[in-house]
Amino acid sequence: MPRGLSIYAEGTSALHRAHPFTKGAITLVSVALAFIVPSLPWVLGLAAILLALLAWARVLARFVPIAVGILLPITLLLLIVQGFANPANRTVLIALGPFSLYVEGMRVGLLAAARIFDLVSATFLFSFTTRPADFAESLMQHGLSPRFGYIIQSALQIIPQSLEQADRIREAQQARGLETTGPLLRRARAYIPLLLPLVLSSLVATQERAMALEVRGFGLPVHRYSRIVLPDSGAQRLLRWALAALVPIAIAARFLGWR
Amino acid sequence: MGWLNAFKLRLNTLGIVLIPVCIAIDWVGHAIATSLKLPLFLDSIGTILGGILAGPWVGGLAGFITNLISSGTVDPIAAPYSIVSLLLGFAAGIAAYLGWARSPRGWIYLWILCFLVASIGSTPFNIALYSGQSGLPLGDAIYAGLVKAHWPTWIAAYIDEAAGDLPDKLVTAAVALLIYNGLPRRYRALFRLYTPAEDTTEADRQPARA
Repeated sequence: MPRGLSIYAEGTSALHRAHPFTKGAITLVSVALAFIVPSLPWVLGLAAILLALLAWARVLARFVPIAVGILLPITLLLLIVQGFANPANRTVLIALGPFSLYVEGMRVGLLAAARIFDLVSATFLFSFTTRPADFAESLMQHGLSPRFGYIIQSALQIIPQSLEQADRIREAQQARGLETTGPLLRRARAYIPLLLPLVLSSLVATQERAMALEVRGFGLPVHRYSRIVLPDSGAQRLLRWALAALVPIAIAARFLGWR
Repeated sequence: MGWLNAFKLRLNTLGIVLIPVCIAIDWVGHAIATSLKLPLFLDSIGTILGGILAGPWVGGLAGFITNLISSGTVDPIAAPYSIVSLLLGFAAGIAAYLGWARSPRGWIYLWILCFLVASIGSTPFNIALYSGQSGLPLGDAIYAGLVKAHWPTWIAAYIDEAAGDLPDKLVTAAVALLIYNGLPRRYRALFRLYTPAEDTTEADRQPARA
């Protein structure tokens, strides 16, 4: 089980230093474009740009093993199922009798896999280079309620704590004779004794936490000032608007017959 | 630049504090299922429990943020499905408002509602992302068989997704209801942000309890 939840790591690249909104715009626009552009070469071109950005941020070495782990099973499943069953299938690629794989379906599967690759690499580009606290802070500086900032930050802290507590509960229950291996039914029966103690103790703790927050003025309807300054620049602002404009342009181009 | 303020909600501090706890329950529920090698996700127990305990916004936000955190850390493909998790939390909140969390017949309704929301909500995303597949070997085998037998792809896509959701949401809803009904009455009343429709009559019948 993972100990720390965030996959952000300190870095010195321009992407690490960029405003969270700039990176967010790159990610969202890339994902949108991946699903708007019409054909495989465009999707692969976008993938090349994203890989270049990952290399520029010096996180490519961390990206590759994680991405392969996520993408390889999905890609295989898409190629096999679409190659086997896509309604457009006409041309046999690999002849296996009733289980033949066809060119048309493989193409459909490959395009879907390439789009998912774009989605995965754009998302990791953001989460490798952006500290979650900075992202929450940037949203709050632009008007998000501080309560939502609290929810996100606190969830990122509570999840690893809860995972550790789940480990302790598992050891305690195993010491009392709970079996967590063997046939499916026996493993399924272990689920409730592992989860329930954790849920009950965390629900009980909420009341105390709520009171602790309220005595510190959590619910007060006052304006809050932040000491954190997230550097932004005119160039970045311009880049964000330019990126955002690409999406309606691409959609319009598709309607005007971009194939 | 105060446009995000439009989403300001009526939530008390306790409701706000409950949301990260529900997110953690989602997360740990899935982690335990994975470590026991169960063939189910069980990653929305906190979402449904939050909805039942404290209403649609707590459940919906817990589900939505669970998927966002998941997509920012371990599984980028979870991001589009955050809408489905939001709807699932809403559904659980509405179900509890109708008093479904308290009667065996309501439990069945809750399960069916959660199953319908999850399966109908996920299918369009599966069609857009995976050409209709769900990404699970069992469901995709069904999908391949149905499409090969000339079923329309969108029906095959729905059955593919539903095959995974039917057992998953049964166990998820059952665990959430088990926890909810096992909680002391005091805690159920504590988190509640509204009065469920049937609760007034229940209080009339049993004035001496608690």
